[in-house]
Amino acid sequence: MKLQKVTTNLLRAAGALRIAAVCVAFIACGTPRAIPPGTIQVDLEDTPTSTDPRFSTSAASSRVNELIFSSLVRPAGSGAFVGQLAESFERRGDTQIVFHLRHGVRFSDGKELTAGDVKYTFDSILDPKLNSPKRGALQHLKSIDAPDLYTIVMTTDRPYAPAAELGSQAIVPAATPPPAISEQIAPPGAGPFRMVSFSRDESVVLERNPYFPAAPNSPQKIVFKIVPDPTVRALELIEGVCDLSENNIQPEVLPSLATKPQLSIIKSAGTGYRYIAFNFRHDPRLRDLRVRRAIAYSIDRRAIVNSMMRGTARIASGLLAPENWAYSADVSTYPYDPAKARELLEQAGYPVLKNGMRNLRLVFKTTPEQLRLATALQAMLKDVGIELDIRSNEFATFYDDTLRGNFDLVSMYWVGVNDPNHYYMIFDSKMTPPRGYNRGYYSNPEMDRLLESAQITFDFDDRRKLYARVQQIAADDLPYVSLWWQDNVVVLNRSLQGFVPYPNGSLKSLATVTLTSPAGAEQAN
Amino acid sequence: MIGYFARRLAAIVPVAIGVATLTFLIIHIVPGDPVTAMLGESAAPADIVGMRHRLGLDRPILVQYGAFLKGLAEGDLGQSIVYRRPVSRIIAERYPATLELAAAGMLVALVVALPLGFIAGSRPGGAGDIASMGFAIAGISIPHIYLGPLLMILFSLDLRWLPLTGRGGLAHLLLPAITLGTALAAILARMLRQSLVAVRESDYIRTAVSKGLTARAALIRHGLRNSLTSVVTLVGLQIGGLLSGALITEVIFSWPGIGRLLISAIGLRDYPLVEGCVLAFAMTYVVVNLLTDVVYGLIDPRVRYA
Repeated sequence: MKLQKVTTNLLRAAGALRIAAVCVAFIACGTPRAIPPGTIQVDLEDTPTSTDPRFSTSAASSRVNELIFSSLVRPAGSGAFVGQLAESFERRGDTQIVFHLRHGVRFSDGKELTAGDVKYTFDSILDPKLNSPKRGALQHLKSIDAPDLYTIVMTTDRPYAPAAELGSQAIVPAATPPPAISEQIAPPGAGPFRMVSFSRDESVVLERNPYFPAAPNSPQKIVFKIVPDPTVRALELIEGVCDLSENNIQPEVLPSLATKPQLSIIKSAGTGYRYIAFNFRHDPRLRDLRVRRAIAYSIDRRAIVNSMMRGTARIASGLLAPENWAYSADVSTYPYDPAKARELLEQAGYPVLKNGMRNLRLVFKTTPEQLRLATALQAMLKDVGIELDIRSNEFATFYDDTLRGNFDLVSMYWVGVNDPNHYYMIFDSKMTPPRGYNRGYYSNPEMDRLLESAQITFDFDDRRKLYARVQQIAADDLPYVSLWWQDNVVVLNRSLQGFVPYPNGSLKSLATVTLTSPAGAEQAN
Repeated sequence: MIGYFARRLAAIVPVAIGVATLTFLIIHIVPGDPVTAMLGESAAPADIVGMRHRLGLDRPILVQYGAFLKGLAEGDLGQSIVYRRPVSRIIAERYPATLELAAAGMLVALVVALPLGFIAGSRPGGAGDIASMGFAIAGISIPHIYLGPLLMILFSLDLRWLPLTGRGGLAHLLLPAITLGTALAAILARMLRQSLVAVRESDYIRTAVSKGLTARAALIRHGLRNSLTSVVTLVGLQIGGLLSGALITEVIFSWPGIGRLLISAIGLRDYPLVEGCVLAFAMTYVVVNLLTDVVYGLIDPRVRYA
């Protein structure tokens, strides 16, 4: 009797579950997930901050804007600049650089791009009333002139060797007003796509620029979807909703994604540089070179890269990756050697047996990867007698701490480093916040002299020699402990063919990829 | 009754001022600055000064607070620093999505909790009780951030029944609603069970049974209604939990509500937007609790408003 009752209850429960399942299936059937042919979806972790390239600074904005706008020059894989809108460019004396524009380039609204548009773009950035965040990067640009429709002359306030980089600003049509609201659709650009919709925190939709040549079978539409959760980005790739995700899939998920027949993973050398910076002003102990070297020797980078990062990085010797034209391999390196680290600390007066060194504070931005890295560093430093206090903060607080010098060690990342003049911004003693990025208040007169000489040295080989010496000093002095150069990891649907990652993580290849079925074809349930 | 509700409505004003003041203080005290976040490190000092002036951030904090309260009194939540649009308009655009998610989460919670709580409470110690309370413990223990992806794997990847993310029709709503409602369902089921167990021993249930009703019928006809008052109280109190759960759920499911808006606004130190979002959440909590009191009266005729 009891058994019969249990059976009846079980049957009832099964019936209820069946009804629920039918309801879910019914709801689902009513909403097919149709993706129009020729459309691809790319997942971004952050929303673009501005669609106007004169005002955008975030990585997400760059990824989208690079497909809409063009600039006078663009960085090649070596970090050197090559013409994009400029057919050619040359120096005229020590303070002028002249760009000759290509003829017949059109914005997506059909108007021809001329020197007037270039001049307007730069003038509007330099206009203090518009508060462009890009104004600081143009601090050496004294004036910009357009003597004819296809010539631009930039004059710098002093001899300035890295002047070509000034031309990397994306160009908007003349008379484009600053965006009245942040969700405004981007102005027309001369790149392969144009923006058709932008919904902050949701999506950005691009369509082909009708005036830009496109290969047959290339995507006609790109939907950038903002998906903040890394697990969900991976799930979207598996489900086939997302066609491509670059540098935003957690390394531990990659082996699982590699087993999916519809997905392929492209790994290529990247230039993103992860490092630990020391604060020379905050804690006098860190002014002792032996302490900084001990910390460098105590970090097992190889183990971190192989385990935490699943091999998606290269051990770094400095800011510049080997692909950069100014890279030098002739620098001091600090392979994992805890015994040497302990010896150096003992010499510095912090022997392990006498409690080593206490209360060093490492700050970093809260992300799962950063938290794991900080925990690993804490364990490694503890092994040599250094007690590391790790402080994880959300971005605004973290950023505030770094600007105020409220840290002993900070874990940070440089992305998009092209010209080696970046060394000036990070290591010249005059470039402390708010002027530059020397957040640790590092100062070395020889370094200053070399960096300032390199800015006024126009001979390519001489510049290379100066930066080789800069790299040697940086590796000896250790204002930064270099950790690794992050690989570019692209997970994409196999139906996307011809995607080539750029070293700086740019998605410009989306303009030249081709589609084979089934991606972009109708996907129903 | 009208006087009671008028007093409750009037009490919303000091609550709103309190919440607004606390939010204003907290967001201004924590480190971080919207101007540096927008202009970046390489911005010229003059640009930073100019933008701070334009946004009114160079004024003394008390002056800023006074202007904020004055705007609030006039129904003006100010202009978002990041969006450069009125905060009230942005919230009005996003609020329906959060409300939709919270209402669906609540519906899921009630649909699951009422039968489970009843099954458990009508025969304590039985198989139904053990199974229901097993679900309750699992439901309370499993965090949104884990449950959401699990549901996605099952219903979107394996069964391919439901879309993974985004806001659209009912299909898009189902997984976020289940994710959001599960913990609440577990809490409500446990509460209903406890309540029913207590009611089972009451004299009026014994009387009903002695007059010929089955135990189950007596519990349904007479016990359930009494037990529901405690559930309704809990529903009102749990609205806060539901809204804070919506913050996480919106991030997981890329749901464009004010939870996600708030997280992004905090990151960018968009002061007016943070204040507006927190105020919207607080007012929702207050209004739902007021409605809870109305429902009391409908369920339990002994409740009188004075």
